[in-house]
Amino acid sequence: MTEITNQIRKIARDLLEKGEVSLFMAWEKGNQEHETRPFSARRSEETERLVFDQYSIHNLANGLLKYRDSKEKIGIVVKGCDSRGIVRLLEDNQIARERLYIVGVCCPGMKDPLQAARAASGLAPADAGNELAAKCRECLQPNPVIYDQLLGQEQPPRLPGERFERVKELEALSPDERYQFFEQELSRCIRCYACRQACVACNCRTCIFDEMRPQWVGRETSISDNMMYHLVRASHMAGRCVECGECERVCPVNIPLMLINRKLIKDVGEFFGPYEAGMKYEEGAKPPLSVYRENDPDDFL
Amino acid sequence: MKSLLEYFGLEAERYQTAWISGAEGIKFQEVMDKLVTDVHRLGPNRKLRDAR
Repeated sequence: MTEITNQIRKIARDLLEKGEVSLFMAWEKGNQEHETRPFSARRSEETERLVFDQYSIHNLANGLLKYRDSKEKIGIVVKGCDSRGIVRLLEDNQIARERLYIVGVCCPGMKDPLQAARAASGLAPADAGNELAAKCRECLQPNPVIYDQLLGQEQPPRLPGERFERVKELEALSPDERYQFFEQELSRCIRCYACRQACVACNCRTCIFDEMRPQWVGRETSISDNMMYHLVRASHMAGRCVECGECERVCPVNIPLMLINRKLIKDVGEFFGPYEAGMKYEEGAKPPLSVYRENDPDDFL
Repeated sequence: MKSLLEYFGLEAERYQTAWISGAEGIKFQEVMDKLVTDVHRLGPNRKLRDAR
């Protein structure tokens, strides 16, 4: 990882000095060992602060949205999951490919900073922070799918067992059992919208959940409003979720959001697929839910 | 959509989509009739009733 950090610093310095990019997005170290945070270098001196380590877990692709209206060229470091996020943004016409210089890193898997913080403060067993973060344990695509330059050794997918195992278990339950399950999980939701903010596919300028006139979705943290929120959020993710797992990671109340997203990935794959969102960027290519075909199935409408 | 509602344990029959043109009054009537019959068959909705 130190080697990758050095490579990143060198690339960033070169790009900034030559003026090929106006800013370079990667991570920097915080005060604690487990604290690594997104950082954009704008001057070549600042590149010394850039790092890539085992806590560089954030999906930086989402940060590009801040610059979607500018014309600046941007350098960015991506892991496998983040690179699918970039494809998401390109397909959604949120940013132009020419504006990006993408440094891909084959990701060995990240650790969960929150678990590490708990372990460090004694709130969890000392070894709790040692294993890979939940989203990385089920990683399908550790290697970047789009890049200008690739660093590190190619990694094998880390998904143990069956990808939709939990989804299938839930599907096998009775409707009432499923309702109870989601009622319990979603009753915790405090509607902080962290899942939306962290999501690279949530890139609408005006969000249905922010609209006040008319107010489409109630804002109470009651089970019905919460479920409505999650149903609507999830259906906007259909065929678009790149499985980076950020929503679930940032959720302060541990709602298993990927269970909902995976269900939709499974459904889109079955009804319109085979299809994987954000695996490959082809100019002009449309995801299945952006095109209409006469023979599209419609009995689930 | 239905598939997702079912996944959440809701009765998907309560939600129906139909394409009806402004000139298709009869079709509108038929669709509404069917919706009402379907919902009657399900009985009162007990889920998602806690708001306000």
